[in-house]
Amino acid sequence: MASPGRRLALGAVTLAADLRRVLGADRVSDDPLERHLYGKDAGVFRGRAALVVFPETTEEVAEVVRIAEEHRVPVVARGAGTGLAGGAVPEEPAVVVALTRMNRIWDVDLDDRTAWVGPGVINLDLSRETSPHGFHFAPDPSSQSACTIGGNVANNSGGPHCLLEGSTVNHVLGLEVVLTGGEVITVGGAAPDPPGLDLRGVLVGSEGTLGIVTKVLVKLTPNPPDVRTMLAAFGTVEDAAATVTGIIAAGIVPAALEIMDRAMVEAIENWLHAGLPVGAAAVLLAEVTGETATVEDEARTIVEIAQANSAREVRIASDEAERALLWKGRKSAFGAVAQTAPDYYLHDTVVPRTRLVETMGRIYEIAAKHGLAMMNVFHAGDGNLHPLIPFDSSDPEAWEKVQKAADEMVELCVRQGGALSGEHGIGREKRDLMPLAFGEDDLAAQACIKAAFDPSETFNPHKVLPRGTSCFDRAVPIPEGAWI
Amino acid sequence: MTTGDTVRLVEATTPRTAELPPLERVSPGSREELASLLAEASASGRRLLIWGGGTHQGIGYPVEADLVVDTSRLDRIISWEPDDLTLVVEAGARVAEIEAELATKGQTAVLPEVPGGATVGGVVAAGVSGYRRCRYGPTRDRMLEVTLATGDGRIVRGGGRVVKNVSGYDLPRLATGSLGGLGVIVSVCLKLWPTRGFRATVEVEDPAAAWRRLYRPLAVLQTPRGSFAYLEGVPDEVVAKADALGGRWTEGHQWPGPPDGEYVVSIRVRPSDVARAVEVIPAGWDYVAQHGVGEITAAGAGSDTVERLRTWAESRGGWVVVLWAPPDSPVDPWGTPPQGLDLQRRLVGAFDPARVVNPGRLPGRI
Ligand SMILES: Cc1cc2nc3c(=O)[nH]c(=O)nc-3n(C[C@H](O)[C@H](O)[C@H](O)COP(=O)(O)OP(=O)(O)OC[C@H]3O[C@@H](n4cnc5c(N)ncnc54)[C@H](O)[C@@H]3O)c2cc1C
Repeated sequence: MASPGRRLALGAVTLAADLRRVLGADRVSDDPLERHLYGKDAGVFRGRAALVVFPETTEEVAEVVRIAEEHRVPVVARGAGTGLAGGAVPEEPAVVVALTRMNRIWDVDLDDRTAWVGPGVINLDLSRETSPHGFHFAPDPSSQSACTIGGNVANNSGGPHCLLEGSTVNHVLGLEVVLTGGEVITVGGAAPDPPGLDLRGVLVGSEGTLGIVTKVLVKLTPNPPDVRTMLAAFGTVEDAAATVTGIIAAGIVPAALEIMDRAMVEAIENWLHAGLPVGAAAVLLAEVTGETATVEDEARTIVEIAQANSAREVRIASDEAERALLWKGRKSAFGAVAQTAPDYYLHDTVVPRTRLVETMGRIYEIAAKHGLAMMNVFHAGDGNLHPLIPFDSSDPEAWEKVQKAADEMVELCVRQGGALSGEHGIGREKRDLMPLAFGEDDLAAQACIKAAFDPSETFNPHKVLPRGTSCFDRAVPIPEGAWI
Repeated sequence: MTTGDTVRLVEATTPRTAELPPLERVSPGSREELASLLAEASASGRRLLIWGGGTHQGIGYPVEADLVVDTSRLDRIISWEPDDLTLVVEAGARVAEIEAELATKGQTAVLPEVPGGATVGGVVAAGVSGYRRCRYGPTRDRMLEVTLATGDGRIVRGGGRVVKNVSGYDLPRLATGSLGGLGVIVSVCLKLWPTRGFRATVEVEDPAAAWRRLYRPLAVLQTPRGSFAYLEGVPDEVVAKADALGGRWTEGHQWPGPPDGEYVVSIRVRPSDVARAVEVIPAGWDYVAQHGVGEITAAGAGSDTVERLRTWAESRGGWVVVLWAPPDSPVDPWGTPPQGLDLQRRLVGAFDPARVVNPGRLPGRI
């Protein structure tokens, strides 16, 4: 139940005063500009922060939660604000808890291959710190030079190299988290399989709706001894997609398998000159890692499969500089869209890899039907699509069309046996689409999890689950027919 | 050095299986049948002991039950998409049969290598993993979707049949290791891995060093009878590595079965503590230690030894979980309870309000 007494205007002053007692005046902001900026993430939704706070310790976060709960004001955790699903956007006036100052890297333990890090540590900084020792943090979202580990944990973020290594959840061994009432618990640790329910597993991907993560024990991954990065150009997107399916079917799980379509490659090349073949309908970027004999063997097989699927050109990066440039091109793709249109809308959906070819064809049809442009750059190896529609938001009709087309694309993917989101999360954006993928009882079960963690609905309310979803109604008697 | 010939390096043993308690037993043939059984039990307060293969029934507090529900008739493969590397299978399917089937197309679900009669649902519910987790991660990392019959008889599904998914709370992971706390696992979708190339089992002198030196070994195991590295891949490379490890090696993978004794315990410590754990285990105890993972399965006599091992492991941030104990054992099966026990209790209460499925088994006697 949403608490009836959330009347912020009156309480805001005392709330701010209470928070300032804990954090000091300079780390509690009611500045209108700051509140405006912190009311948005990298997605399309806008909300309003009542106050923005900048805690530096776990104890401070716990105090903030306690005070907010007392005032019956929700809290919304925020990392770098690069989320695309509106996860960090307050749905009602809330205390936005910016965790960017909690950016310490504690004990990097090379024997155990772990590190305790603050939630505000930037993803790439962690890999930079550990790389000289031969390790890195495997999840590598394209936003990795800006996004935080806390945001990665909350969204169970992925990235090109999650095909082999798995998403963030596979790389989180333990969490310190502030729960309702300001209770602080640590779940998991460097030792495997802690007794009891896997709270760590359910906290990852919970999008800040169950508690605030204040420390993360991450697993570090050894840098591979060798790597081959290949690029194949195709005359049709379907041929590229068929190559992906063929590679997986051949028993190879590469480190990464990414597809970019013609429009995307042209935008990237115009800007970065990364050496991608312009003019091809689709470019496949494939990377294999491991020991030399393995990568050579796998690279050879991938080239053969690409050629069998009518690749026009296949190229293997000759050195680290060429490889780095190819990846820079791939990871800058969203930025490159700016040349095409002032805005873009991007969806994140998943289909079984066996349905890639068919799904891609139909996604272009949907865009064409609505008279919209379409650009694609995606984690093809996982079946994780990112159909991207460039548009101009100053045209109100365009936005309506875009939303309609985007919803159709998500529906299509779910009907193909896919999922609503592969890595960006549900947040606000796909909250109301959840019934496409789940039945009433499935959603009620999820609401039970929310209710068990956050009975006062303090943490990031109205996200993930559609409004009105609640844990099983015990008052309803078990139906007669179900008895034996 | 032995190249080519298959020699027996590792002794195979079969896992212990519990005896069915002398109670009435039912075997639902469909998830609907199972769900109505649960609804009825919740209404009448009948306590249920869920039975798969009986190979992990020693874990947790003993369950006082009125009825045994066995999953043996829920044993179908619902779908296997080899080109997508996913498998949807019912809980009662036998691990050995499923892995044999998957092997016909060079795939694996990375379930325990020496499963005995274990079922897929039992492995997931007990949260156990195969030795190859050293390379592929624990079982929970492959749990893409779960269908549960909750304690009060509702069918709920979480996750999805794709390899990457962030759509709501991760019910598949929460179910892994839940030992019936949320209800009965009806079916799961597992992510598969291709098994490619040449396999070798290599005897190594210093397992800790071998783990540090090898890139992504499938497993590095230490036992009182020797230590072994498990390799798979391009033949020349595997052979070169096996030779470089200086050990005797043989083609194929020879896995040790779990040790057995009066007590069987799972010592769980940080990976770098595995070598120390082995030193703490007294002479006369048998063990299989997984380097790079941090789990040591050890077996022997004496509750005082178990307590001593637990004190040591907990002092180093680890756990000792009892897998098998004699009926009159004074040893707590879980040790010091984990943090967040109230939260665990609320979660279990939401899914199984009358607490009829394996009641009391979890830490805190939840
Ligand atoms: C150009 C671009 C490229 C991207 N590429 C990828 C990609 O390849 N793969 C991918 O997965 N994503 C990608 N993203 C999405 C985004 O970067 C990720 O979701 C990222 O993990 C968000 O991190 P953040 O620090 O910005 O979190 P925010 O946006 O600040 O927050 C995201 C969510 O996490 C919650 N949260 C943040 N910190 C905490 C905490 N400490 N405790 C609890 N909850 C918390 C918030 O409440 C919110 O729900 C991309 C985004 C952009 C703009």
